[in-house]
Amino acid sequence: MAISVLPPAPAPVPTAHKTQDGDSPVDEDDMDIDSLPTGHQRTAQNILTPGQLVTQDPQWMRGHGTFNADDSDAVNIRSTLAGTLQKTNKLLSIIPLRARYTPEIGDLVIGRIVEVQSRRWKVDVAAPLLANLLLSSINLPGGILRKRTSVDELNIRSYFSEGELLVAEVQQLFQDGSASLHTRSLKYGKLRNGYFLSVSGMGGGSGVVRAKRQIFTMQTRRGGEVDCILGVNGYIWLAKHLDEKKEDVGINKLEEAAAADTTMYSSQNDEIAAETRAEIARISGCIRALVENGVKVEEGTVKMAYEASLEIDELEGEVSYLGGERGRSVVEMVLSGRG
Amino acid sequence: MPLDSSSYSLAQFSTQAAADGSSYLEMGQTKIICTVNGPQESKRGGGSRDQSNAARIETDISIAGFSGVDRKRHGRGDKRTQEMQHTVSSAFSSTLFTHLFPHSTIAIAIHVLSQDGSLLAACLNAATLALVDAGVPMSDYVVACTTGSTASYASNDEEADPLLDLNGLEEQELPFLTVGTSGGEDKVNVLIMETRVQMGRLEAMISVGLDGCKQIRGILDDIVREHGKKALNSRVN
Amino acid sequence: MAPYTNIPLSPAELSYLYTSLSQTPPIRPDGRAPTQFRPLVAETDILPSANGSARICFADGTEAIVGVKAEVEQSRVSGAATGQVESEGVLGLGTGGVGDVDMDEEDGDEEATRAGKGEEGWVEVAIEIPGMRDDDALPVFLSAMLTEALLADGELKDRLWINRRFHWRLYIDILLLSQPLSYPLPLLSLTTHLALLSTRIPALISEKDEDPLFNDDWEASRFLYPQSKTASGGHRKPPVTLLMLSVSENVIADPSREELAVADAVVAISVAPTTGLNAESAYKTVALRTVDPPSRLTGAGVPTALNTTAGGTSLSAAEALALREKDQGQTVWRPPRGGVKRAMIAKMIKMVTEKGGVGQEVLEGLAGVET
Repeated sequence: MAISVLPPAPAPVPTAHKTQDGDSPVDEDDMDIDSLPTGHQRTAQNILTPGQLVTQDPQWMRGHGTFNADDSDAVNIRSTLAGTLQKTNKLLSIIPLRARYTPEIGDLVIGRIVEVQSRRWKVDVAAPLLANLLLSSINLPGGILRKRTSVDELNIRSYFSEGELLVAEVQQLFQDGSASLHTRSLKYGKLRNGYFLSVSGMGGGSGVVRAKRQIFTMQTRRGGEVDCILGVNGYIWLAKHLDEKKEDVGINKLEEAAAADTTMYSSQNDEIAAETRAEIARISGCIRALVENGVKVEEGTVKMAYEASLEIDELEGEVSYLGGERGRSVVEMVLSGRG
Repeated sequence: MPLDSSSYSLAQFSTQAAADGSSYLEMGQTKIICTVNGPQESKRGGGSRDQSNAARIETDISIAGFSGVDRKRHGRGDKRTQEMQHTVSSAFSSTLFTHLFPHSTIAIAIHVLSQDGSLLAACLNAATLALVDAGVPMSDYVVACTTGSTASYASNDEEADPLLDLNGLEEQELPFLTVGTSGGEDKVNVLIMETRVQMGRLEAMISVGLDGCKQIRGILDDIVREHGKKALNSRVN
Repeated sequence: MAPYTNIPLSPAELSYLYTSLSQTPPIRPDGRAPTQFRPLVAETDILPSANGSARICFADGTEAIVGVKAEVEQSRVSGAATGQVESEGVLGLGTGGVGDVDMDEEDGDEEATRAGKGEEGWVEVAIEIPGMRDDDALPVFLSAMLTEALLADGELKDRLWINRRFHWRLYIDILLLSQPLSYPLPLLSLTTHLALLSTRIPALISEKDEDPLFNDDWEASRFLYPQSKTASGGHRKPPVTLLMLSVSENVIADPSREELAVADAVVAISVAPTTGLNAESAYKTVALRTVDPPSRLTGAGVPTALNTTAGGTSLSAAEALALREKDQGQTVWRPPRGGVKRAMIAKMIKMVTEKGGVGQEVLEGLAGVET
């Protein structure tokens, strides 16, 4: 069947509400906090909902996701989100079940230019506020190190114009929470030769997680090598691997290497073989299947999902669309493989 | 008349993948779908840059033509709809932590699929669920319900219990009010009454309403926890 | 210079997608076959206060709800003698006079008396898209296309006729619940199709031209689209409008948002089962519209040779043009030019209406949804 029409998922049956004082479950929580180990327990007992009392013990400090309900001067820490509790030493914070991406310094993100201003760009990184990319934070082609002039400002669109994709790192955060990006490294810059997809939402678990390596290369069966960039904000880029003639460069050789790369702001794609395109489509299907079934997206799981999809193809026949049923079986194989 | 959870035949969480937060709520025959988008940068480019230091809350209520017994097309500029939108926005403006998101917008879209009374209360409850789903920090749930008075003027019966959670027919016949609380049983956030009732009856109605809100808060909280448990149990670490 | 339209894709991405889709066979970004649809979730009869209702969720998260309500309305007094009705239909296509030949006699007396008496103004389609006013271009255009498809077979309006003084007025309210990510036409059309399939009208008890009286028993109500087979063996069903797009020589069904952004041409084809005898194919096209592909609004990419930051020089206008023409959009994106070839449209129609084609799969898939 080329179309599958599914019935809607049945609604979860709400458990009978026991009429009790709103405060009694809280007391248990209060006593449990001290016994919780440091770190993040993601077990189901520790779900907190907005307005729920976390503790009244003055030894704790408030972190992200909590607020002090001002009932006289007593310490009265309550949750503002639906999520789980995280203890770091004396700091209590709440990790939400689901929330928009909030930028942290050092995050590798993929962004899309939405606005070009006189000396900077506004970039959409799926955060509550648009991120800034200053003209002084990008590499000039040819590796030149110089102060940006008004000529650069006039030519600002030749570097990045609206709608273009780039990979960058969060350099600092402003007072209002918006991020300031920079692309001052050879692995950052404008993206081309590939395909973009976005997996929404953050909140630990489903979606892209912060890992040691966000950029990695995958060996595919028939299509050569594919570069995968998993942005922490949920934006993902899959592209044909660019042959890098450069070896690891030191800091003082940066400008020489940058000088060799004159195509860093090009929008022209190279020739990409059909097999590579098919493999990119397969990897994107794997990533979507992982997200749909609640598995976090990172280098290990993506590679395992790809291998699993190839295995299932051999067992059950080749299918290129990894949605629905086929996606579920791929993910099951990944989960069982991890034990 | 105490509220029992069976009158809330259904409330669902996170029903739409494309929105940041969503919910579906049925209060009797009143069915509401609510989606939340945001906080997002205000889409006001060019000249007037939004320099406010807190997020704006924009509510949009659309009542479907098939929601009542007779088919009736509701325009966008309807006064009654605008007033409800304003009530919802202001109810949440005091509970959401908007100062964490300067110059951005939280857009609440409410779609009324079927109405049979308690419309404003259902809108507020559905919006609360959707905002919790979207991960917008808030100080507490905003819960609301309606109460009506059956006491007739002539009979002067002070003992007549106020009704809780009125349906469409009851709303047409009886004086009723919508009461919403947040941050505690007695912290009233919303109080709207469009009909007329004797002053003496008011206190009883409000206190029954506050009790109803407490029960509703428990029910909504259960739903959030239920959903959270399911989500956590299905995820792999 | 790339103007920022509501297709947020860079020239490099557009070029990659276009070249992928123009391969033989086309390589779609999610690996689907050209005629493969994404799974969708559908349910009917969700609104007890409406005569018919349906809800469909597409895989990309877009969702639509349609409610159908029917109300009795007094007919405008027609010219008594000849029975000719002066008014034109909503789309100005005219209405059938009473003198029209009625359909197959085997259809029964009920059908025969009704034939040609319906008016197109009795069907009203209203679309609600969040964030758009009622008089914005998109809702108006979509509702016109859906209405046209519904009225095209001429039978629906006839079924709304009660007697000479009264008729049913059918209100179809379509509610799009999410922001329109991609062109929402197929979603709205499929949901309308399901809602109409589940629509029931109360059974008539009164006779002839007296004031209409209906049976209170809802079980006795009849379906607006009766499930019984017609004499020719086909089923009567409301039409379904599908989007087909063409990229160089390939035709693709159920396009996703990014595929729409690079299309050469987009065509909306409305298909319904045929009911007449001696029909060559089981399905026929009832309406066809071309849609302006959003790709025309995109700006062309800048080839590296012209990109001053990438070490290119600025060439004269003639040289720059020659460079782009030589590339022919293979590596540098350029918006599509020209119209659609007739052969391409014929190919699309064939893909939709042939036996085992896209139209049949969609209609059969939806028929399986429990009413």
